[in-house]
Amino acid sequence: MTAPLVIGSVAYSPNVVPIWEGMRDYFAGTSTPIDFVMYSNYGRQVDALISGSLDLAWNTNLAWVRTVAQTDSACRALASRDTDLIFTTVFVARSGSGFTSLESLRGRRLVLGSRDSAQAAILPVHFLREAGLSEGDVNLTRIDSDVGKHGDTGRSELDALRAVLDDRADAAAIGINTWQAIGRGELLPGAFESFWTSPEYSHCTFTAMPSLEVERADPWVANLLAMDWENPQHRPILEMEGLQAWVPPRLEGYASLVKAVSEQGITARW
Amino acid sequence: MVIPRTPVSPPSAAPSAMGVVLDLIEGIGRVPTGGMATVALDAANRIAALDLVVAWCASSGNEIVSVEGLTVTVRHGRSPDPLAQLDPAQVPGSRVWVYTNFDCNLACDYCCVRSSPKAERRAIGAERLQQIASEAAAAGVGELILTGGEPFLLNDLDALVNSCTDELPTTLLTNGMLFRGARLERLRRMDRSRLTLQVSVDSATPGIHDSHRGTGSWAKAVDGIRIAHDEGFRVKVAATLPADQMHELDPFHSFLDTIGISREDQVIRALAHRGVADSGIELTVDSLIPEVTITADGVYWHPVAADHDAQFVTRDIFPLADAIAEITRRFVAHRRAADSAAEWFPCA
Repeated sequence: MTAPLVIGSVAYSPNVVPIWEGMRDYFAGTSTPIDFVMYSNYGRQVDALISGSLDLAWNTNLAWVRTVAQTDSACRALASRDTDLIFTTVFVARSGSGFTSLESLRGRRLVLGSRDSAQAAILPVHFLREAGLSEGDVNLTRIDSDVGKHGDTGRSELDALRAVLDDRADAAAIGINTWQAIGRGELLPGAFESFWTSPEYSHCTFTAMPSLEVERADPWVANLLAMDWENPQHRPILEMEGLQAWVPPRLEGYASLVKAVSEQGITARW
Repeated sequence: MVIPRTPVSPPSAAPSAMGVVLDLIEGIGRVPTGGMATVALDAANRIAALDLVVAWCASSGNEIVSVEGLTVTVRHGRSPDPLAQLDPAQVPGSRVWVYTNFDCNLACDYCCVRSSPKAERRAIGAERLQQIASEAAAAGVGELILTGGEPFLLNDLDALVNSCTDELPTTLLTNGMLFRGARLERLRRMDRSRLTLQVSVDSATPGIHDSHRGTGSWAKAVDGIRIAHDEGFRVKVAATLPADQMHELDPFHSFLDTIGISREDQVIRALAHRGVADSGIELTVDSLIPEVTITADGVYWHPVAADHDAQFVTRDIFPLADAIAEITRRFVAHRRAADSAAEWFPCA
């Protein structure tokens, strides 16, 4: 019998267990069975991957970039969600605030999410820098309410939005998923509006070390990509994980984060 | 002189209402799909905040479970659709039962609707049956099932059945004992390509069958099956057995094989505690998947309870689509209530 591939995932939500039990059930019916291990944070998961305790890690974009840095680019990205290839950061403010661009944030208060959130902290600072704004040009507030989970819980972004509502900040940088969760400003037009959306970048990806043979990895990826949104057994898992299709990763989509990590001196390990 | 009023914008309720949504997203994120989160509405903006919660739930795929004062309880995800969990053949309205009369030449001791020679005839009538068949076809019903008492007691049964088979495939339940003379002629005028006869036989030998249905009834039923086959009709056999006999079915199936009943047409059901039956499985609205059933008195939940007030649905047979929709609505409500109760009273 084929030994199961052991996959690591971070417990960022109570749904993580049903998601991975569903994935385990799905793969039990394939040529590539899996088991899973939960971690409380991405740092510990990446350590486990590199030490050989895991065959695969379901990594955020920051966890991927850090794994690349720690392995001299020897690790491989195997697959992502369709939604991971088109991730964006959205800058939002109270409706009618008058922001029109990142430049208009000069001298204003911007609230960021947890410091290890690519979408709500690291990349927003990078985008400001690209727009010609240094950290001193904008009054930054950081809300580190889910550090370790790379912003996956969404909690720090909700806290950032509360800060804007409470007039403790003028604008917030959040991930497109949180912006969608609050209705993209359409649910209650008088509350929030977006004034700048970043270029698309890549988010999560399954990460493997070179020790995982291609003969084991490729069939597993094929089985993963075969999960079907129209299949009623697969769909609940896909819905909970926030995708309609598993797809090959888009590595060029990590370039902005690699640059941001370098610019901001974010360490490869913590 | 009219002094123009300076327009004053009211303070916007939007920001504080939006805070409820942020609380809700966070609360929902803390529970797995199917779990509940509660949020408190701001009393000053209760209506605006509640409207927003309703809109957010609709757009995000979550479901409001209750609103009590300023507290809103929301389910993470939607409750399962009870209809989607059914086999397509079980969806209410996939077939419709019609009680044609209620009087019967037999007085079976387990009859679920108390039919007998003494039972008053309550005939559905040709006009209503034709309208039922026509509206059923229009409503997407796939099959009509006619039952008595004993339908062959009706002198216009051929016309009644033909009005159904003109619209939909139809099954006619009978004890099979009356296929002679004018009644046999009526049978011969029915549409063999659209009609299935379902004859009641309860055992492989006369003993058990006759003990419930009367001496000599088994032999007449078996002979009726032979006649129906000779006349070119498809025949199903339906047996009603007490629960303690449900494990001894092989000899019965073998017997039915010998008289030419295909296995798919051998229907064996458990005795229900209904009508004149003094024992049997208990069937309630909560435990029965409905099968739309029409009698001269109106619409019932299920054919097994077509004279029980607890399962009476409406006196209005027409429009039939409305009656089907009402039964569907009640079924969904019952299932959701049962699911909710199960969530509140876990066994471990």
